[in-house]
Amino acid sequence: MKKGTSRRPALLAAALVMTFLLAMPMAVSAADPVKVGYVLPLSGSAAASIGQEFAKGAMLGARHVNEAGGIQALGGAEIQLVLTDSRGDPQVAMTEVERLITVERVPLLMGAFQSAVTLPATTVAERYGVPWIVDMAAEKSITERGFRYIFRPTQVPSSSNADSVVDFVVWIGEQTGRKAQTAAIVYENTDWGQDLANRLRQRFTEAGIRIVLDESYPPDSPNLRPLVLKLAAARADVISVTAYATDAIQIHSLIEQMGVNAMAVIGSGAGQVDATFVPSVGERGSNYVFSTNGWAGPASTIVGPFAERFWNDYIAAYGEEPVGEFPVVGYALMWLVKDVLERAGGADPDAIRDALASTEMRNNEVTRLLGYDIVFDATGQNQEKRFVMQQIKDGVYYTVWPEHVAVPGYEVVWPVPPWSDR
Amino acid sequence: MTMVLVQALLYGIATGAVYGLIALGLSLQFGVMKIVNFAHGAFLMASMYAAVWLARYGGLHPLVLIPVVAVIFFVIGLIIQRWLIEPIYRKEATREPIGVLIFTTGLWLFIDHLFLMIAGPNYQVLPGRWANTILLLGDYIFTYPQVFGFLIACAVTLALVLYLRYTRVGRIIRATGQDREAASVCGINSSWVYQVAFGISMAVLGIAGSLLLPLYPVNPFVGDVFVLRAFVIVVLGGMGSVAGAFWGGILVGVLESVGAQLMPISMAEILIFGTFLLVLYWRPSGLFGLESQ
Repeated sequence: MKKGTSRRPALLAAALVMTFLLAMPMAVSAADPVKVGYVLPLSGSAAASIGQEFAKGAMLGARHVNEAGGIQALGGAEIQLVLTDSRGDPQVAMTEVERLITVERVPLLMGAFQSAVTLPATTVAERYGVPWIVDMAAEKSITERGFRYIFRPTQVPSSSNADSVVDFVVWIGEQTGRKAQTAAIVYENTDWGQDLANRLRQRFTEAGIRIVLDESYPPDSPNLRPLVLKLAAARADVISVTAYATDAIQIHSLIEQMGVNAMAVIGSGAGQVDATFVPSVGERGSNYVFSTNGWAGPASTIVGPFAERFWNDYIAAYGEEPVGEFPVVGYALMWLVKDVLERAGGADPDAIRDALASTEMRNNEVTRLLGYDIVFDATGQNQEKRFVMQQIKDGVYYTVWPEHVAVPGYEVVWPVPPWSDR
Repeated sequence: MTMVLVQALLYGIATGAVYGLIALGLSLQFGVMKIVNFAHGAFLMASMYAAVWLARYGGLHPLVLIPVVAVIFFVIGLIIQRWLIEPIYRKEATREPIGVLIFTTGLWLFIDHLFLMIAGPNYQVLPGRWANTILLLGDYIFTYPQVFGFLIACAVTLALVLYLRYTRVGRIIRATGQDREAASVCGINSSWVYQVAFGISMAVLGIAGSLLLPLYPVNPFVGDVFVLRAFVIVVLGGMGSVAGAFWGGILVGVLESVGAQLMPISMAEILIFGTFLLVLYWRPSGLFGLESQ
C-alpha cells in the first residue's frame, strides 16, 4: 500500500516526460492537420448504407494521401476527415454543418449525398463562406442558385442520368429490333426523385414511348405492395424505378413475387447499385435488372498501379470489393482535396474556394479511375461526367452501354425472360 | 380493373391484420395502465432483430421462431414493467403518469441507438426462400408471409379477446383497467396485473415483429416507419380496445392499398390521415371504443 503511493509521483513524472518527448518532434515536423468535414447519411435512412460506402472510400483516400506525405505545400500537413452523420435529415445536417464550421472550424466541407439534405445544408456553408464539395447529390438547382462556394465535381444533374436511361432504351431497341412502346416510371417523392421523373417523362415521350404509369411514393414506406400492384396492372414494356436501397429491395422483391413481367426494369443508379441490393433481393430477383451507374466498373477503370492500390487496399481494409460508384467517388474526392489544398497553399476557406474554382484535373490517374475529367464551369458544376448502363447477372454488374466501356464478352439480355422461365 | 381492386382489397386486409397486431399491444397498455408507450416502435424493431438472429444463428424456421420471440418478449415485458416503469409509476400514483411518458421516449431513443451500435445501420432480411414462396389462390398471388401473417394475426387477436373476456386473469386485467382503485379494494394486486398486461402486450408485439420481418427488411430505425401507423390505428379503433385495434388495422391497410389504386400513392396517405381526423372529430372514442367514462 505504502509502496504503491510512493511510486506514483515517479510514474507520473515519467509519463509526463514520455508524453513530452513523443509530442515534441510531432510539433516540430508536422503542420496542423487540415480538417475536412464530410456530412453523410450514416444511419437512420434508406440511404445509410450508401453513406457508409462513401465514408469507407474517403477514409481510405485520406489514409493514402497522408501516407504519401500529406499536403506538401502545407509542410506535409495531414488531411483529417471529420465524418458527420446527417441521419438523412435536413434539419440534423444544418445543425451539424453549423457545428462543423463554428466549433470544429473546418475550412472545407463535403457531402451530403441526398439532394434534399444537400440543398439546405449547402446554404449554411455559403452563408459562412466555407467551400463545399458536393459528392453525389444530383438535384439540378444545387449549382444553379448563384452560390460562390458550392462545387460539384463527381455528379451531373439528374437530367443526365435520366437521359442515359432513355438513350439506352432507344439504342437497345434499334440494336435488337425489340423496341419498347410503353414505359412506367415510379420514383420516391423527393427532390431527387421528382427531378429524375420530370426528365424521364419528357425524354420518353419525345422518343415516342408512351408513359402508362407515372407514380411517386413516400420514401421509407411501410408497404409498397400497392405500388407494385399498380405496376403489374400497367403492363409497361419498360419499368423505371428511382429508389434508395430499402425501397428498391422491397419493390424488386415484390416484382419477383407478383411475377411482374416487362422487357426491362431499369434503376437510376441508387438502390439497385447499393452493395446490399443483390444479397437482399437474391439472385433470381436481381438477375437481368438494369441500372445506370456513374462508374463503369472495375473492368475498364481498375488499370494501373494507382487504381489497383485503391482496389486492393479497399478489400484489405473492409473485406469486400468496392461495389459501384460510391466508394470510388469517396476515394477520388480525397485526391481532389489534396490537389486543391496544394494549390490553395493554406487552410483558409477563401483560398481553398479559389483553388477549387480553378481546378483542372485532366487525364491523370484519378480521372482515369473515375472515368471523366474534373473541370468546373462558372456555376461550380463539372460537365464532364457521364452515366453508363449496367445489367446484373448472378450478382455481378456488367457495363453494357455505351459500347466503348461495355464489358467484353458479356451479351446483354434484352428483353429479359419472363419470370416463369427463370 | 376490378381484379386489381379485389387483389388490392385482399392485400390491404392481409397487411392491415399485421398492422392491427402491431397496434394491439399499444392499445392494451393504454387501456389497462393508461400509459402511452413511445418505445413501442423500438420494441418492434428489437423483436424483428430477435427474429432475424433466431433464423440466422439458431436456424429456426420463420414460423417456428414466432412463439420463441413471443416468450422472450413476454419476459422482457415483465422485467421492464417491474423494474423500470413501475418505480416511476408508483411515484406518480396520484396524478397523470407523465414521467412514464418521458421515460418511454428516452427508452425509445436508447434502444434505437443501442441497436445501431450492435447491429449497424444496414438493413437485414430474413434468410431463406420461404419469404418469397408464392401461393396462388385462383388468379390471386399471395406469399406465405402474407397468408400466415393474416391467419396468425387473426388467431392471436381472437385468442386475446377471448382471454380477456372469459378467464379470471383476463377479467382482473379488465377490472384494473376500468378502475384501479375499486379493483385494489377487491384485493387485486395492480402491480402484478400491470406486469402481466405489459408482458402480454410485448409478447403480441414480438409476434407482430416476427410476422412483419419477411415482408420488410429490418434496420435500427424501422420502428419509426410503423409506429405512426400504430398510433393512428389505436385512436381509430378506440384506445384500449383490443378488437378495435384489429379492425382499425384492417381499415388502414385497406385504405392504403385500395386507395393507392384509385389515386396517386402519395395522396393515399392523405386518405388515411384524413379518415383519422374525421373519426377524431365525430367519434373521439374511436370507431370501436366504448363511449363510457
